[in-house]
Amino acid sequence: MALLCGSASVTFPSSSFPRHTHTNTSSSFAGLQFPLQNLSSLSLSSSSSSSSSNTKPRTLRIHCQQEDSSPVPVPVPVPPEQDPRFLCVEPEPRFKGPDIWNKTWYPKAADHVNTEKTWYVVDATDKVLGRLASTIAIHIRGKNLETYTPSVDMGAFVIVVNAEKVAVSGKKRTQKLYRRHSGRPGGMTVETFAQLQNRIPERIIEHAVRGMLPKGRLGRRLFTHLKVYEGPDHPHAAQKPIELPIQDKRIHLQR
Amino acid sequence: MNKDKIFKLAKGFRGRAKNCIRIARERVEKALQYSYRDRRNKKRDMRSLWIQRINAGTRQHGVNYGNFMHGLMKENIQLNRKVLSELSMHEPYSFKALVDISKNAFPGNKNVVIPPRKVAV
Repeated sequence: MALLCGSASVTFPSSSFPRHTHTNTSSSFAGLQFPLQNLSSLSLSSSSSSSSSNTKPRTLRIHCQQEDSSPVPVPVPVPPEQDPRFLCVEPEPRFKGPDIWNKTWYPKAADHVNTEKTWYVVDATDKVLGRLASTIAIHIRGKNLETYTPSVDMGAFVIVVNAEKVAVSGKKRTQKLYRRHSGRPGGMTVETFAQLQNRIPERIIEHAVRGMLPKGRLGRRLFTHLKVYEGPDHPHAAQKPIELPIQDKRIHLQR
Repeated sequence: MNKDKIFKLAKGFRGRAKNCIRIARERVEKALQYSYRDRRNKKRDMRSLWIQRINAGTRQHGVNYGNFMHGLMKENIQLNRKVLSELSMHEPYSFKALVDISKNAFPGNKNVVIPPRKVAV
């Protein structure tokens, strides 16, 4: 990889294996040539000795087509670093343990324990409903974390206070409709934003956030991590919630 | 013989699909089709997951994924998305250095035209 970096503070993990030097191939090939030359001289010397001593008892000698062909070459011992058969085999890695660089990380059970998750608190006074719900849903799902995994609940808990003061722009206060159906014919109930805010104000924010979370088993569990309250108090002081960081610049209602 | 192979592949299926050959055969055929298709989909899904993780990591430093990759391409840094996502999780300081390199190379779009916003009533 070509990496141009001027700062000296970059510390990359040195997990790269030592690259094989290709200078020893030339010596190994040169080493293989020697046995052939030796064998040719050996065959000549053996034939000359057999012709001179005829008085020796005739031992069975197998003749083959290529009389002058040399027997099987004796392998010259080659040191293991220059053995051409093992040039492309990687050496033993320095670090023994799970391979974290070639496998995509997947969280273990200890990485998403509910007791160690962050708790956020946000005041809904005069905040636009949809933009607030979007930010809440992102934090509950965990999409702001690098350890985001779609199949695992890695997100945080969010507490919303002053839910009855959430705002909407335009004429939505009187025109936005919330519908529900009981399942029986003629069982549809319609009410406006203002009516629902008077009746059950928490339901407005819950409805908005539920629409932005995934629908399914995991989505239903994520929804239980949202806690909405009507006044300025909440019973979760023991979890020490911190302020929810909001990046949206248009989240405050502009009058 | 073939039945045994089918039942071996049908382990863990729901209901009669793991016990009755006529239903198991259909389900196993479908399962093999899905596995063929998903061997190709897995590569796409993994890359999408890496991109989402890199996006989350860079946004913590104030840069979004598109601008970050553009800056890296300008500097001819050929780290792939898998490695970048692992770096963002396990090596935060190295990742911050990469984000700084990218910001130097490509500070961001200064010529973005924001369409006029309709005034709320």
